[in-house]
Amino acid sequence: MDLVTNLAHGFGVALTLNNLLFCLIGCVIGTAIGVLPGIGPVATISLLLPITFGQPATTAIIMLAGIYYGAQYGGSTTAILLNLPGEVSSVVTTLEGYKMARRGRAGAALTIAALGSFFAGTVSTLLVAASGPLLTQVALSFGPADYFSLMLLGLVISAVLAQGSVVKSIGMVVFGVSLGMVGTDVQTGQQRFTFGIPELSDGVGFVSIAMGMFGIAEIILNLERPEARSVMSGKVGSLMMTREEFKRATPAVLRGTVVGSLLGILPGGGAALASFGSYMMERKVSKGRHEFGTGAIEGVAGPESANNAASQTSFIPLLTLGIPANAVMALMVGALIIQGIQPGPRMVEAQPDLFWGLIASMWVGNLMLLVINLPLIGVWVKLLAVPYRHMYPSIMIFCAIGVYSLQNNVFDVYQTVFFGIFGYLCSKLRLEAAPMLIGFVLGPMMEEHLRRAMLLSRGDPMVFIERPISAGMLTVAAIALAAMLMPNIRKGKDAALAEGG
Amino acid sequence: MSWALRRRILLAGMIPASLTARAAIAQAWPAQPIRLVVPFAPGGTTDLVARLVAAGLQDRLGVSVIVENRAGAGATVGTDIVARSTPDGYTLVMSNIASHAISPSVYGGRVRYDAVTDFSHIALVITNPTVWVANPRSGIRTLQDAAARAKGPSGLDVATSGAGSSNHLMVVRMGQLIGKELNHIPFRGAGPAMQAVIAGQVPMMSDSLPSAASHIRQGSVTAVAMASAQRHPAFPDVPTFREQGFDLASDSWFGLSAPAGTPAPIVQRIHRETMAFLAVPETRARFSELGGTPGDLTPEGYADFVRREVAAWAPLVQASGATPD
Repeated sequence: MDLVTNLAHGFGVALTLNNLLFCLIGCVIGTAIGVLPGIGPVATISLLLPITFGQPATTAIIMLAGIYYGAQYGGSTTAILLNLPGEVSSVVTTLEGYKMARRGRAGAALTIAALGSFFAGTVSTLLVAASGPLLTQVALSFGPADYFSLMLLGLVISAVLAQGSVVKSIGMVVFGVSLGMVGTDVQTGQQRFTFGIPELSDGVGFVSIAMGMFGIAEIILNLERPEARSVMSGKVGSLMMTREEFKRATPAVLRGTVVGSLLGILPGGGAALASFGSYMMERKVSKGRHEFGTGAIEGVAGPESANNAASQTSFIPLLTLGIPANAVMALMVGALIIQGIQPGPRMVEAQPDLFWGLIASMWVGNLMLLVINLPLIGVWVKLLAVPYRHMYPSIMIFCAIGVYSLQNNVFDVYQTVFFGIFGYLCSKLRLEAAPMLIGFVLGPMMEEHLRRAMLLSRGDPMVFIERPISAGMLTVAAIALAAMLMPNIRKGKDAALAEGG
Repeated sequence: MSWALRRRILLAGMIPASLTARAAIAQAWPAQPIRLVVPFAPGGTTDLVARLVAAGLQDRLGVSVIVENRAGAGATVGTDIVARSTPDGYTLVMSNIASHAISPSVYGGRVRYDAVTDFSHIALVITNPTVWVANPRSGIRTLQDAAARAKGPSGLDVATSGAGSSNHLMVVRMGQLIGKELNHIPFRGAGPAMQAVIAGQVPMMSDSLPSAASHIRQGSVTAVAMASAQRHPAFPDVPTFREQGFDLASDSWFGLSAPAGTPAPIVQRIHRETMAFLAVPETRARFSELGGTPGDLTPEGYADFVRREVAAWAPLVQASGATPD
């Protein structure tokens, strides 16, 4: 069995002391930011990017991945105990979870959230391991024209699924792609949009964009709001579930795992979409659906499993095609490229340590999270007592040092400040930053594939329609765009996203 | 993690040009990880050799040597980054025939570094011939097949590691010999180019032998012609260009360089350790498997070599009319 040997190899990598340590650090940070409202995994990962560069690529990605799925665990804790979703993806957990807590079943809700997440994490780890190499084979038959169309589809979907106006999102995608053009053209050596600034010849700094648009901008936004504090009501109670609760939760966990795994793979999908999708499903099909609104355990078990499954399966398009499905994955691409690794179908073969090590570490990380979360819940809740006025300045200083140390160049700090302010303005204008980041990451790759496709076809653009894979991607992209122009569907999407957060 | 960062910041802060400070740094060197920039995408000869050398230097210097791929524009993007780095011995570049001899002529004024004066050249690591390979299903087995395809209605696509590489120049010169321009498809390095050839997107590739060697042995590509004067000892079955009636030969070379102004003791130390690594029997065996010859130049010798190569290639590039676009 190839899969078994490969996984064994992966565990060999994941279980080295250094990787275990960074997996733990990632999980702990992930849980912490999951608990803290306001700071999400995208902001955290972008703020922590510079730290990872001193580490080998595998270790860096293991830690960053730990933050992402760790946040899904942590987010549920405050959602259940305080009706305070730490993460967008745990918004729906508050609906039933907090009700359960008010009924004195907080312990059971926390247990099923953790166990469900662990089960979903295990299944989706296996799914990534099994489907990765298969999809890679498919990906190898992709020509440059197919890649271009696939990336175009990715951009369209990321714009369509973003919150708010589709036109604005497309604008942000285009702006992101244009930012990606800045610097030295990889084919001709021509300087583009550098305005004679030597620092721009290497392109706009990815870390500066990510940190500014997500990290700094989010902190500014949080500072604007008054500090909201809610007090924990009642006690956690017994962590044990009753037999009946267990019986009701099991099918919900299974359904949540399936829904989450599927929605995670979709471009533009991810944890938030998955937890919402699962909640909708449980409300319709579960046995306890009449109890929804009063603390049904299915409403916790399903979404919590789904968001964790999705956070892991969203690695599949990244690891096999090199295409990020959401903003977190776009950050991962950036981190890998800075490490000199081009994500794509060659990664399984060329970087087996990274590929299998990451997969194995996800399972190890899930196990760690189970331990970090269940017995230590009290510690995490105390974290909420740290006032923002102490936390934010230290984060900012840490960021500035991190960005500066990238190249010991103060220009990077200015860039970060610029994008921080720009990011703040964008969110005031309801312009989404995620499509821009995905555009920035995909833009240069798209350009390269476009040029190569045109070189090979000797300048004939029909190649994009003649190749079946490429034509298929373009058709889906066109349908997705057309659908968004229909008022009914658009309303449906906005309502869904508003409810799902 | 953050300790390493902090230390780097401290060190960077101490670099004011005073000589005593420099000497102190040279004595304490190496005290932190060394960055070895490879100006091509992973999987090519530059990358392959850099990773071998990095592992060797890491053992000998006792600090990690991290290979960083910064591809683009005929290896000039990554090389330019190194040219502008602090000359403290912690940033090196895998200098090569593209970045330090051909690209400066091909890209002309767009290259902002001077291949000779902006670097402290350290050591020549490997020299090897160029080889032309084809996808086994392409039906191209000889250069005659290739020429016939080129003259046909659809022409011949040939992949390379990028414009400005010696492989690119081979494509231009071969086209001149055939009498029909070949359709040059540049990639960001031999790794992605080879992948496209194996997948059948491009039928043929002009590559440096080391990166092609394992693929030829595995049979995933067919070796069509070797651009060496005689048949290569590692691949005695592969006929040369001359044997097949095309008077072409082309070697490519790869070495280690640092930004100009790197303290001499550091340059000497890296040179010494590199030579020691090249002398190890395992390294020799690996190099001959890859079809390359280990270099044996002193730092001054390598600097001279680069100077001569830059001068020699300028008229050749001019005559070939090779351009990046």
